[in-house]
Amino acid sequence: EGPFRHSSSVMPAYKLVYFDVRGLGEVSRLLFHASKTPFEDYEVALNGDEWTTLKQKTPFGKMPVLYVDGKPLAQSFAIARYLAREFGFAGNSPFECALVDALGDQFKDYWVEMFPFFAVGAGLKEGDQKALQKEVGEPARDTFFTMLERVAKENGSNGHLVGDSLTWIDLAIADHIITLQNFSAGFVDAFPTVLAVREKAMNDPRLKEYLDSRPVRHF
Amino acid sequence: KTMPTYKLSYFPGRGLGEVSRQMLHLSGTPFEDNRITMDDWPKHKESTPFGQMPVLTVDGKQIPQSFAIARYLANQFGFAGKTPLESAWVDALADQYKDYTTEIRPFLMVAYGFGEGDKDKLRKEVAEPAINKLFTILEKKAKENGSNGHFVGSSLTWVDLLVSDHMGILETHVPNAFTAFPTVQDIRKKTTSLPKLKEWIDKRPVTPF
Repeated sequence: EGPFRHSSSVMPAYKLVYFDVRGLGEVSRLLFHASKTPFEDYEVALNGDEWTTLKQKTPFGKMPVLYVDGKPLAQSFAIARYLAREFGFAGNSPFECALVDALGDQFKDYWVEMFPFFAVGAGLKEGDQKALQKEVGEPARDTFFTMLERVAKENGSNGHLVGDSLTWIDLAIADHIITLQNFSAGFVDAFPTVLAVREKAMNDPRLKEYLDSRPVRHF
Repeated sequence: KTMPTYKLSYFPGRGLGEVSRQMLHLSGTPFEDNRITMDDWPKHKESTPFGQMPVLTVDGKQIPQSFAIARYLANQFGFAGKTPLESAWVDALADQYKDYTTEIRPFLMVAYGFGEGDKDKLRKEVAEPAINKLFTILEKKAKENGSNGHFVGSSLTWVDLLVSDHMGILETHVPNAFTAFPTVQDIRKKTTSLPKLKEWIDKRPVTPF
């Protein structure tokens, strides 16, 4: 049991607002589905007009935003951690929660490094995807995934990055791997223990219905 | 239950480690303030989980990443907000602060002496926009929270400490950076005048950042 599990005896009304992509919002969608918690999954077209007006109404001019009984919460991983704690996917002790958080922070640092490659792969920017893969994507991947591979092994190669049950970092990494493989098949094949984490997360029976029915998205 | 042993390993500066030092001091928790110089760091790098500092060692077990450490200590000592949603808002502001540090980095690297560059040009084109963007958000949040001396809730949280200490460093490089943000200035004043914190600030090693 992590801290703050099921803090309210009355289920709040949840609304998750994000673009119609997986990106940094999908981990929160996965948490709702894994915990069978009802929520409004409000999607905004990435290149549409709605975002222009919506942007000013968000706390930080960005998405995702989670509304809890109408009150907004911003920042993708603050949202993910909040939901994970509520639903029991944050880690099974304060120490495990901290390790999950540390991997989340490391993922964010990697994301910043990786972004020039990601932006072109996702079609958000013009550029030479092959060149950026070599110069930006592969070095960032090597640093981050070498660490993840070691962490997964040190954790006992049990299909989780931390502890012995599903956490939000398993979900975030698993979903990100799908994106990497869409951009370049075999991109993380050199990291089998991390791929095993992806396998276990994506085959979690609690997620089957959602994963079978969610839109197939490039990123 | 016996108190755990804590060791915080970081460079001799304040940077991303200071918020954790402050929480340990504020809570009256003994800890080893393990300062490793840049020269000695290569020797220690391999023994850290991610090849980076700070690292918190709790009864011999390591936690990397400055904000994972800060949140862990905040939860241990009561500086993480009083409800899950308050904790989440503290996290959100800290993440926004992290985004800001990425934006302002080109200026700070030159200001701290880690690189060459036109400090005045970078101050105008990089630092001031980044500061205005973050502090506009912080000012709004501080007001929405009731202008009570805290960004979130009604008691000290680690984001109060984080922002307050950074302001002390930043103002030496960007004069009058916070004129437009009076409510944030109030938070800094209130935070830094807490007796236990003031005691630490007065006696800690003086470092430029």
